[in-house]
Amino acid sequence: MPESNNLVAETHVVLRRARTFPEDSWTLSRVLDDKGYESAKTVIGGMSPEATVDLVKESGLRGRGGAGFPTGVKWSFIPKDVFPRYVVVNHDEGEPGTFKDREIAERDPHQLIEGIAIAAWACQANKAFIYCRGEFALGSRRLDAAIGEAYEQGFLGRGIFGSDFDLDIILHRGAGAYICGEESALLDSLEGYRGQPRLRPPFPAIKGLYGQPTVINNTETLSTLPALLSNGADWFKQWGTEKSPGTKVFSVSGHINRPGNYEIPLGTSLADLLELGGGMRSGGELKAIIPGGASAPLLTSTDVAMDFEALKDAGTMLGSGAVVFMDDSTCMVRNALVTTEFFEHESCGKCTPCREGTWWAVKVLERIEHGQGRAEDMDLLLDIADGIDGRSFCPLGDAASWALRSNVKVFREEFEQHVVDGRCPFEPEERNLVGAMSGGLGLGAAGIGPQPSAGIEVDREGRDGSNGSGN
Amino acid sequence: MADLVNVTINGSQIQAEKGRMLIDVAEEMGIFVPRFCYHPGMKSVAVCRMCLVQIEGQRKLLPACATPVDDGMNVNTSDEQAVDAQQGMLEFLLINHPLDCPICDRGGECPLQDQTYRHGPGASRYVEPKRTYEKALEISDLVVLDRERCVLCWRCVRFCDEISGDRFIQLVDRGPGTQILTFSDEPFNSYFSGNTIQICPVGALTSLPYRFASRPWDLQTAPSVCAYCSVGCPITNESRSGQLVRCQALPNENVNDFWICDKGRFGYHYVSSEERLETPLVRKGDEFAPASWGEALQLAAEKLGGKERVGVIAGGHLTTEDAFGVSRLARSVIGTPHLDSRVQDAGAPYELFRSAGGVAGSTATLNDLEEAKTIWWVGPDPKESLPVLFLRLRKAVLDRGAHLTVVSPRRISLDEFADTVIRTSEADDGSVAGQIAEKSKGELEDPVVVCWGPAHPGRDERATVTAVVELARAHDSKVLVCPPHAGSQGLLDMGVHPLMEPGYADAALGGRDTRAILEGAAKGEIDTLLLLGVDPIADFPDAGLAQRALESKAFSIVVELFPTETALRADVVMPSAAYAERDGTFTNLERRLQKLERLMTPVGAARDPWKICTALAQAMGQEWKWHDLEDVWEDIRKTVPTHAGIRLEALKQQAPAPAPFYEPALSAQHGRAEGAMGGPGGQYPKGHRGGAPFQTGQNWPLSWELRAFEAKQRPGLIPAPGGLSATPAGGPDAPSRASEAAQPAAGTPPAEASSASTRPSGPPIDRDHSFVLYSGRLIYDEGAMVRRTAALRGIQAKPFVEMNEYDVKRLEVADGDEVVVSGNGVEARLRVVVADIGAGAVFVPYDQEGLRANRLMAGIDPVVEVKPG
Repeated sequence: MPESNNLVAETHVVLRRARTFPEDSWTLSRVLDDKGYESAKTVIGGMSPEATVDLVKESGLRGRGGAGFPTGVKWSFIPKDVFPRYVVVNHDEGEPGTFKDREIAERDPHQLIEGIAIAAWACQANKAFIYCRGEFALGSRRLDAAIGEAYEQGFLGRGIFGSDFDLDIILHRGAGAYICGEESALLDSLEGYRGQPRLRPPFPAIKGLYGQPTVINNTETLSTLPALLSNGADWFKQWGTEKSPGTKVFSVSGHINRPGNYEIPLGTSLADLLELGGGMRSGGELKAIIPGGASAPLLTSTDVAMDFEALKDAGTMLGSGAVVFMDDSTCMVRNALVTTEFFEHESCGKCTPCREGTWWAVKVLERIEHGQGRAEDMDLLLDIADGIDGRSFCPLGDAASWALRSNVKVFREEFEQHVVDGRCPFEPEERNLVGAMSGGLGLGAAGIGPQPSAGIEVDREGRDGSNGSGN
Repeated sequence: MADLVNVTINGSQIQAEKGRMLIDVAEEMGIFVPRFCYHPGMKSVAVCRMCLVQIEGQRKLLPACATPVDDGMNVNTSDEQAVDAQQGMLEFLLINHPLDCPICDRGGECPLQDQTYRHGPGASRYVEPKRTYEKALEISDLVVLDRERCVLCWRCVRFCDEISGDRFIQLVDRGPGTQILTFSDEPFNSYFSGNTIQICPVGALTSLPYRFASRPWDLQTAPSVCAYCSVGCPITNESRSGQLVRCQALPNENVNDFWICDKGRFGYHYVSSEERLETPLVRKGDEFAPASWGEALQLAAEKLGGKERVGVIAGGHLTTEDAFGVSRLARSVIGTPHLDSRVQDAGAPYELFRSAGGVAGSTATLNDLEEAKTIWWVGPDPKESLPVLFLRLRKAVLDRGAHLTVVSPRRISLDEFADTVIRTSEADDGSVAGQIAEKSKGELEDPVVVCWGPAHPGRDERATVTAVVELARAHDSKVLVCPPHAGSQGLLDMGVHPLMEPGYADAALGGRDTRAILEGAAKGEIDTLLLLGVDPIADFPDAGLAQRALESKAFSIVVELFPTETALRADVVMPSAAYAERDGTFTNLERRLQKLERLMTPVGAARDPWKICTALAQAMGQEWKWHDLEDVWEDIRKTVPTHAGIRLEALKQQAPAPAPFYEPALSAQHGRAEGAMGGPGGQYPKGHRGGAPFQTGQNWPLSWELRAFEAKQRPGLIPAPGGLSATPAGGPDAPSRASEAAQPAAGTPPAEASSASTRPSGPPIDRDHSFVLYSGRLIYDEGAMVRRTAALRGIQAKPFVEMNEYDVKRLEVADGDEVVVSGNGVEARLRVVVADIGAGAVFVPYDQEGLRANRLMAGIDPVVEVKPG
C-alpha cells in the first residue's frame, strides 16, 4: 500500500475522539475522561432552549444528511405550546457509498447521545428515537450499550444532569428499506406502517411522529453539537465557507488506494480529498466521480470545492458526502444500470413516475449493456429521466433521475459505443467492481479494493450477535 | 363562511374558498384536470401524479389534488409543461398496463382509456416485456381482482381504510412489484366491497356477477333509487336485452356520498327472476287459475265492499304514490279505518315523534349528522339494516368528531367507535327507557341528533320511543327516525297507518294495526284482507298468527312480485311491477323525496300498485281517474298538507344536450385535428347518442370521472337539495310547523288495539331456560328479493343464536355448540355464538336460511327457551 504523503491534513471535530482514541473511543470510561457530556451538562443546566437554538442558528450548521437545511432554523419551526414533541435521529444511512454515520455511531455513540440531549433540550422534547439502519449490527449494539450506560449515569431518564428535564431515547432498528431514510417514510416506519413518504404539508415540524411536532436530524449533525455548544459559533465558523461553515465527514470510496471516512473543512477541494484517499488505484486513470452519494450527478474533474454552493454550481450536489472515484476500467452503462437498479429496488412504489420510470430505465439499460441497444435508447433514457425528475412524490425519484441523466449525458459516447458494437467493451471482471454500489450493499469501503485506512470495522459477530457490549 | 381568494386558472379568474383543492376549483370552472388517485369522497394522497399543474412562481409542477388554492395563485393546467407531464405520466402508467381493453369490463367507461384519449401520448415507446401477475383472482364472491391492470391509485385501499373501515385490501410488496391484494386466508368480505369496483379507475377490480355481461355501450340506463332500505341511495339501473344486469351508486353527497352497499349493488337479479308473477291469479279450490285483470279486479271489488270488515296492509317497498293510492282506497273508497304499513316493525310507534317535531319521522337530515357534536343511536345495527347510514355515522364520528352514544341490548357495529355504550336488556329488569333517561341527564354538546329505528321485531318499543322523544325535547335536538324499508316513510307520510291520515293528522277514527287486523281475520272479525307488497307469514313477528289469518275464512287479495307464502294462501293474486320497471318516488328516512325512472317494461301483465288501487276503485264504481304519475301528484298536493307545492318536475332529471366529448382547444394542442381520432374514442358520442350522463335511455359510455364532470356542467343532473331531491314542507326545513301539528298521540292506545299485548298463555315458562328474544335482520337474509338474487345466495350467514358468556356457562354449552331454541311451539337447532349481549337475552337473526325467527314468536315481547342440544 502506498504511504500517505501527509500534504493534506484532516480536521477532526466529529471524528476527534474516534481518531484520537481509536482503541476505546466508544467506552464510557474513555468518554468521561475525555470531558464527554460536559457540553450537554452545561447547556441543560445553564442555557435556555431559545439561546441554544440561537447559537446553532448563528453557527450556520447545516444538516449533514443530504439536503443541507440549516439545523437551527429547522428547530425553530416547532410550534410553541404544542406538546409532546419528539426528536428523531435519522441513522438509516442508506445512500450508496455513504458510511460516515455508521462510523460516527460505532466509534462514538456517546457523542451522538450527548448531541441528542442538546437537541432535545433546545426543542423541549422528552422523547427521542434513533431510527437505526437494520444492517448496522455493531453500531446498534454499541448504541444500545451506550444508552444503557447513559441512563445509569443519569444522563438520560428523569431529571438528566440533575436538572428537571426528562429525556428518554428509544433505539429502533429498521428493516432494510432505503426509502425509510426519507424523513416522513421514516416516521411512518417508526409508527409501524408501511415505510412510504407522507404528503406534505403538514411538515414533520408541525405534525410528525404520532401527529406531534417532530425534529428529524441526521446522526452527523447531532454529533457535531457537543463540540459546537462547548466552543461556540465563531469557533465552528473558522472552518468552511460563509454559507457552508464547519467540517464535514466524507465517505470516500471507489478505485482509490485508501477508502475511508475523512473529515475536512467544507470548501476543501476535491483534489485534496482524493489525495487524502491515497490517490487513484495503481494504473487507473480517473474517469468519473460521484461527489455526493448515488443520486448526485457525475463529475469528471477534481477541480471543485467540496461545499454545498460550489457543488451546486458545478451541476451536482454535496448530498450525504459520499464520494466515489471511478477509474477507466468502469463501464458507465453498467454504472447507470447498477445505480438505477438500486433505485428501482428501493422505490416504495407509491408514485407512478418513480415506480414505472425506474422499471423502464432498468429494462432499457439492461438491453444496452447486453448489446441490444437501439439508436433511440439514449434519448429515451433522457426522456424517462425527465419524466421522473420533479414529478415524483419524494426525492427518491428525483435522485434516480439525476443519476441516470448524468450517466447518459456525460458518457453518451460510451453508451452509443455499446449500441454500435452490439456488446459491452469492458471485461466482465472489471465490470463487477463498480464503486457506486458498494456502500448501498452495506459493504462499505471494506468490500472493495484495498483495506480501508481507518475507521471501518468489519463486524465479525454478524447481524444478530449476542454480545451486546459492542466491544 | 371561509375566506374567499382570487385564483386564476388558465387565464380565467375565479373566487374560491381558501383551502379548497385546486382540482375541485378547476373542475367547477369547467376545467378538467386528469386524475386517477383523486376521488372527491376521500382524502387526497397525490400518488398517481396525473394532476400535476403549473403554478406561477413554483419551481416544480404541483399536484392539483393536494394543492389548496391561495390568493393570487396563477395556475395553468394545459401549458406545455403540464401537458408534457400528463402525457409522460400516462405513458408510464401504460407501460405495464395489459391493454386488454377488448375483453375488459371497464372498456368503454374506463378512466384510463378516456384520459389517455384526452390527455395521453398517441403511442407508447415501451418495447420491453410487461409485468405479469396471475390473472383474475376472485377475492370474494362478488369481486374479481386483476393486478396487471392496476395503476396503484390506492382508491380501493383508501376506501376500505377511510370509508368502510373494512381493511381487507392492502398494498403488498414495494417498488415496481407493488400490488393490491387481500390477505391470503381472508376474502374481501365487506358489505361495501362493490364500491371499490365502481371507483377503480381501470378494470383491476371487476364485478363477478356483471363479469362479461355486457359492454357499456350496449346498456340501457335509468336513474333510480335503491328499493331495499330506507336510506334511499340514488342508483343507476342498467339493462341489456331486457335483463337488469347492473346497479351502481349515483353520487349524492346529501344522501349516500358516493357509495351504496353490496346488497343494493348486487341485489337486483330478483327483478328478472323466473318466479315473478306475470298474470293475475284466482283461486279455484286448491289451485290458482290465471285470470284477466278484469276478472280479478271484479272479484276483488265484490269482496272489498265490507267497509270496516276490510283490513288493508301495505309493505315497505311501495312508492309514495302507491301509498297515497292505498290510503285513499282504504279510507275513501272501501271505508275502513283498518290499514297499516308496519309489518316487521309492527307496533313501532312512529306517531309519537309528532310531539318532538310535528312529523311522524325525522326532523334531522343525514347532513345534520355531520354537523352534530352529539349523536345518540337507539336502534338496530345500521351496518346490517341501513348500511350506508352506517357509513354516514362512521364519518360523522371519525371524521367530524361527533360523540356517539349507542343504546343496544347487543354489541353492534357502531360500538367500535362509540364514546358510550349502554347495554340494555329487558331480561334483568333494566328498563331501556329508564337507562336512556338516566344517561342523558346533564349537558350534551350541541348540536344533538337522536336517532331511533325499530330494532327488534316483536318487542314493544313504546316506552323506548317515549324516552327518545323526551331526550330530544329536553336537549332541543333533531331526531332521525329510521323505518326499515325504502317505502316505509312514504307510507307513514301518506297515512297508511291506523292512527294517522295523510300529513300526520290524527285519524278521525282509530283503526286496527297490523296485529289487530291479522287477529281480526283469524277470529272472523275481518272478512277481507287486502295485502299489497307484503308477506306477513315471512315478515310479521308472529308467523303463526299471520298463517292463521291467511288460512281463515277471510278473503285475501294479495298484490305481489312473487308467489310468497302469503300469496300462495290468497284468494286473488295480482302481479306487481318491480322498482326498475316503475316511475315514482321513494321517501327516505330523512324524508327526502327521490325519483325512480322506469328502465324496463313490467313483466307480463304486472302493474304499478297505485294503478291497481285505481282499477279497484273503478271496479267498485268510483270516479277515480289517475292515468299517470302527475295525476296522482295533483291529488297528493291537494290533500296532503306536507306535500303541498311539490312539483314532480322538480324531482325529475333534466336532459340537456350533451357537450362535445373533448375540448377542441386541448385536442389541437395534442396535435390532433378535430374528429381525426380513431379507435374506441372515435365512436364516442358527439351528440348522436342524445343522452346526458344520468338520463334514462341508451347508456353513454364514459368513465365515472368524466360523467361526474360532464354532469356538473349541466345543472340539476347531480342530485342536490331542491334539485333532484326535495324534502317535504314541514320537514327539516320547516321545523316551526311542529307547534301547529296535531297533538301527540302518546299514550293513547289504538282504538281497537291488539288484544295480544301480553305474553301468550300456555305452558308455564321454565325460568332457568327462558330468555328474552331479540331479533333483527342481517344484510343478506331470506327476504323475498335477496332470496331471488343469485349473486347473494352463497354469502348469507346460517342462522345462529347469540348468548351471553355467563348464560352459556350456566347452560353448560360452549361457543359453536348446538342448542335447541324453542318458542311458540317451534323448535330450532342453532349454533351458539358467544357475544356481548345482555344476560338472560338471546339474539336470533330474523330471517336466515333454515329459520325464520318470527316462527318462534307469539304475542308481543316474545321469550324463548334455550336448552343444550
